[in-house]
Amino acid sequence: MTPSPRVPEDSTAPVRLSPGDEPSLGLEAWMAGYQMADEAAATALIRKVSPLLLRFFLVQAATRRFAEDLVQETWIRVHRARHTYRGGEPVLPWIFAIARHAGLDSMRKTRRVEFRETQVDVLPPVASAEPFASSGDLDALLAGLPPAQREVIVLLKISGMTIEEVALATSASAGSVKQKAHRAYRRLREVLSRRARSQ
Amino acid sequence: MKPDDLEQILAQAAQRELLPDAQRAAIQRAQRTLLAGLRPAKPLASPRWFLLSFIAVCAGFAVSIAAILGMHGLHVLGAVQGAAIFTALLALAMLAAVACERAMRPAGGARLGWQAWLVAAIVFPVLFSLVFHGYSTLNFVHEGIPCLVAGLAVSLPTGLIVALILRRGFVMEWSSAGLAAGTLSGLAGLAMLELHCPNLKAIHVISWHVAVVVLAGILGWGIGWLADERRRKRTVTAAAAPGNA
Repeated sequence: MTPSPRVPEDSTAPVRLSPGDEPSLGLEAWMAGYQMADEAAATALIRKVSPLLLRFFLVQAATRRFAEDLVQETWIRVHRARHTYRGGEPVLPWIFAIARHAGLDSMRKTRRVEFRETQVDVLPPVASAEPFASSGDLDALLAGLPPAQREVIVLLKISGMTIEEVALATSASAGSVKQKAHRAYRRLREVLSRRARSQ
Repeated sequence: MKPDDLEQILAQAAQRELLPDAQRAAIQRAQRTLLAGLRPAKPLASPRWFLLSFIAVCAGFAVSIAAILGMHGLHVLGAVQGAAIFTALLALAMLAAVACERAMRPAGGARLGWQAWLVAAIVFPVLFSLVFHGYSTLNFVHEGIPCLVAGLAVSLPTGLIVALILRRGFVMEWSSAGLAAGTLSGLAGLAMLELHCPNLKAIHVISWHVAVVVLAGILGWGIGWLADERRRKRTVTAAAAPGNA
């Protein structure tokens, strides 16, 4: 069995990974425990994966409240689907496959609701609830990418998954993921070049 | 910012600290939902078991209904014709079964691309035009409707059983699962017709027998799409989406 990362005493504190840790270290064992209704394993899994999910949804242009709701929706689906996880398979692609579908479902429904709504008055600006301790340039950069390329970059670079894991999570081939990542990189470099020239 | 900064920006974003209260809130909500009444879940059987189940359901319905109606088609088919048709049927049924198996669990494998479905759609018209002759339209509709009805009558219960097997997993996209299940059940209908129907006119087989697969696939996709829409309506997060706050 793979060694598990140390779990803090506080049951709601996120499990922190040290820089040398593999992202999926111990997840398979926890997932197997969760399937067997082991509460400690389920707690550890939630504490380790929730921050990754939150980051995944936040980076994809979501508000904090929306992202928290999507994390919750993902966990509800993970719970319903937990019998479909096969022991020994990587856990992160399995969870992120569910997460991206929860996100897609929600986006489609939102688009439909917005299409039916008519704005009757100018809404006052809402103060953004910035969930990050410090903001970076990433959001502005990723905004220019098509959704599929943005998703691949987020899964590869922010969630720390391998190309094979991203391929599993997105039901695509590894070649297709590589191609999307390559195109995304090219586009991001172009954006950065333009910005550098204009400065 | 320069192009060389890209890796640095991405690395910084990955290390960017989430505010503790945001993480804590997400974890607490998940724990409240999941840990209450946690029960053991029996893991799914192996993919091979499901593949065999799908093929067995498809072949079982086709052969048993053809046996009841009479194997008139099998008796008039030549050896080469029979071998070509039933090999293609088995290959496409395997393809559809793989698509069904992949659709029934998250991260189940790469989706079948549109190229695979295109090949599946044209393989039988091409094959039938090679092994059968006769393009007379005499009694075209009169002879065709009973075949279409009989083929669909086999496809519907097959599709129902395949859908029940699919429900043992966790289908995330019912539209693609429905397309695969519909195609598989349509192939059961086509197999039954090849065993039962003695009409070997190319135009009859290409039009009416292949139509069973096409219609069953479309029907499966449509039912799946409706199931997806129903699930989306139940998604709780849309109310909290940006713009709907």
